Amino acid sequence: MKVVIIGASFAGVAAALEVRKKHPHAEIILLEKQSTLGYIPNGLHLYWEQKIEHLDEARFITKEQLETQKVQCHLGATVQKINTTQKILHYDYSEQEELISYDKLIIATGSRQLSEKIDGSAHESVLKYKRYGEAQAALVKVEESQHVTIIGGGQVGVEAADLLNKKQKQVTLIESMDYVLFKYLDEEMIQPIEQKMIEEGIDLKLRQTVSSIETNEEQKVTVHLGEDSVTSDAVIMGVNVRPNLHFLDTQVELHMDQTIAVDRYLKTSVKDVFAVGDCIQLSGPGEDMVYIPLINNAVRTGIVAAANLMEPTVTFNGSLRTIGTSIFGHYIASTGMTEAESLFTNQKVKTRRQTVRLNSLPNSETVTLKWVYDADTEVILGAQMISTANILEKINTLALAIQTKQTLEDLQQKDYFFHPAYSPMVSTTNLVSWMEERIDEDES
Amino acid sequence: MKVEHFLEKNEVREITIFKQLVLNNGILSYGKMLDHLAVSKASLENDLESITSRIEVFNDQVQVDYDGQEIKLTMSDHISLQHIYRIYLDQSIKMEIINYLFKHQEFSITQLTQQLAISDSSLFRKIKELNTHLKEFGLKIRNGQLQGEELQIRYFYFQFYYYIEDKSALIHLRSDQQITQAVQSVENFLQVNIVPENRQRLNIWLIISKSRITNKNKNYKQLRKQMHPYLKDPLYHKIHVMVLRYYSRYSIEVDEEEAMLHFAFLLAFPILTEHDFHEYTLIRDRHAPIASLDTYIVETIIIHFKFRKLPYMLERDMYYHLTHIHTRLYFFQGDIEIYEYEEMLAREKQVVGKNLVPLARTLLTTSTDKFMSTEVGDNSLLKMELLKYISLLTLISFKMATVIQIGIDLKMDGLYKDTLSQLLILKMRPINGIQIEVYQPSKSYDLILTNEKPDEEHQYQEARVYILSEILSSFDMANIQRIIQELNA
Repeated sequence: MKVVIIGASFAGVAAALEVRKKHPHAEIILLEKQSTLGYIPNGLHLYWEQKIEHLDEARFITKEQLETQKVQCHLGATVQKINTTQKILHYDYSEQEELISYDKLIIATGSRQLSEKIDGSAHESVLKYKRYGEAQAALVKVEESQHVTIIGGGQVGVEAADLLNKKQKQVTLIESMDYVLFKYLDEEMIQPIEQKMIEEGIDLKLRQTVSSIETNEEQKVTVHLGEDSVTSDAVIMGVNVRPNLHFLDTQVELHMDQTIAVDRYLKTSVKDVFAVGDCIQLSGPGEDMVYIPLINNAVRTGIVAAANLMEPTVTFNGSLRTIGTSIFGHYIASTGMTEAESLFTNQKVKTRRQTVRLNSLPNSETVTLKWVYDADTEVILGAQMISTANILEKINTLALAIQTKQTLEDLQQKDYFFHPAYSPMVSTTNLVSWMEERIDEDES
Repeated sequence: MKVEHFLEKNEVREITIFKQLVLNNGILSYGKMLDHLAVSKASLENDLESITSRIEVFNDQVQVDYDGQEIKLTMSDHISLQHIYRIYLDQSIKMEIINYLFKHQEFSITQLTQQLAISDSSLFRKIKELNTHLKEFGLKIRNGQLQGEELQIRYFYFQFYYYIEDKSALIHLRSDQQITQAVQSVENFLQVNIVPENRQRLNIWLIISKSRITNKNKNYKQLRKQMHPYLKDPLYHKIHVMVLRYYSRYSIEVDEEEAMLHFAFLLAFPILTEHDFHEYTLIRDRHAPIASLDTYIVETIIIHFKFRKLPYMLERDMYYHLTHIHTRLYFFQGDIEIYEYEEMLAREKQVVGKNLVPLARTLLTTSTDKFMSTEVGDNSLLKMELLKYISLLTLISFKMATVIQIGIDLKMDGLYKDTLSQLLILKMRPINGIQIEVYQPSKSYDLILTNEKPDEEHQYQEARVYILSEILSSFDMANIQRIIQELNA
């Protein structure tokens, strides 16, 4: 069996390794457009944070490691078109067109930070650094810039704002919504971060949409927003990512948003063709199909598609959009549905918010948690956390609680270890009302 | 634009035949029909033959019989004129072109000629004809696309699917879980209640919006200008947040103007209930163009009718309807004439009396002047909005008409008295603006009808008294009507 995988980022690599495990004799070929492989998207942030010394260290796997698993890697191979009837791929390699046939095809081409709406955003002075090559260029450009404008207040944008601020750069952050990180946190949860951003001198422009970007001769870049404009030395695109699937033939059905339509087994509308990672919609926190381009989903869909190559056996059980990061002196984490997002569902939700201690010592730090749960059944649907201490790992407990449909009462009974130096009297994720220092009940 | 613009000349004649028959109790002589259509007898015969073959699909539920003298129409109780129009529209090539454009966003001539099984030249001719009617919407079909401002494109499709094409078919075909969910989300985000008939409108609008969302060549030049006074509007802000959040869940880069399109639609069409709309009027900017025109027009109406004070709910109703009218005039161009303008105007004149129509015209001129509209007079949008002004004025004059209390006090034997009083009540009941009953001494009346001169001068307090000469006579009736008009003046 010959398995061809397009794209050697997290989804493609996870799929390749899982196919190898399931099918020891299969011929596995990874086609990757970039000339290197295994770069961690936004590894540039690790470099700015000084977690790594060289950008090249931001890799989760190497070509050699894959080759010991007998996965052939064709780097610098750009797929131009596929013919799903004849099961043939056309790709450019060293300026020549090559053909390759397949028995099973997994599309894992990922996504790009790209705007079709913002005039001038394709210009090279407008930095995008999801990929290694782009990151190298961005590194140099940012180094020599004093004032940087970031478009988009999502995870990438806010992290970049924090890191560049620490590097003494002047930062302008533009977000079209009322507050940053709106996909993950409800507005009241984000207040400490926004306050800190303003204290740190970030020029925060909310409810503003970028219409165009101009680059002048002195290499200054002007971002236009309605009647306002910002001129700075560099611009970073932190907008939503989108897949680029121009090579597909018409047999492969797409959704309205141009992602590939797949079933629960990640099969496309064409036999023997699968799609994973940032190319597809997933069943989201509200159980409707949404687009959630996260590495966690890329890895998990890669594994599931590999398991279903021969026959449909494993269904993909959806994404809770779990995230965790550290920004502006706070750790934030989120999983499942936010209160704001619940308006897109028929579910009537209630929420609770509480600030609790993290251990039993006198100087204990606190975490503020927000719980979103079904008003009738009290099944937990979402959780958000913000703290000055590193509480990130706790979100995984809550993600599991949501995935396994636990109720508030189940959580109160959740088993936990007690050690006064590491835990308060009742575990922070147990939601016991009398432990709270502050409680806001049933806000919705 | 009119529905008949989607049909060929002979088809328009055929549906006119149906319409004339319906207006004339289902039967009409050849002579009268020929006069009405202004065609030769041979061509009428042709039309009738064509009709016969068209209505075969109804399996005898619709019959048209003709014998050279008379034409006769019979229809089963479950078929209406609308069903008949439908079969004509279903076969219209122009309808198919619009449907194809909506579905595929663009076409090549070869694709479309194959799809419709017509020649290049007749396709070009149909497109040319369509373009003459699309002009009032500021749209044209060019290079295989419907071109113009995005708001106008969606507005046209909306009117087309709501009033011309079979809307239930569109909903059946295109309304999925996602659309239902989107309607629900609008309710949740805007904290409003959308009642079933409004829900259907919103449903269609969202189906259209969904199909347009990925179109890459959208034009918003005009809309951006029009939205300038509304960028801080609280409703617009809510819509903006909703739209951004909604599309952040998909791999779609949404235009900022998407929220503007929804804002214009939500205010120009009855989507919100009067109650929810009222909540919005309390927080909207009263100096923005639509709100300030609403106030100006309400004041003009109050001054015209010399009202001292309007009932609270009537005033709210006026604002509700006026905002729809003014939002349409502010944002949109062109319309589909769903009612026959001239007929409607004539009918309204009969009901409302002559003086309301000039007032409605004045209101329309005021509005178009305020918005500095460059629309020409013969524009369907202006005609339709004029009809709406007239309807609103009629509504107001009905609601504000003072009800004249009439008491009947007949002096005769008990049995006759009761019977004749009842007959008199029955006869007068159709007269507008009166309340009539058998005289009760404890109540006060505006007019007393009796058959004998009262014994005392102020027996009926301040009420006018009319003494009937001959109960139920047309002479008396005419006099009573005159008195009612005098009392009303």
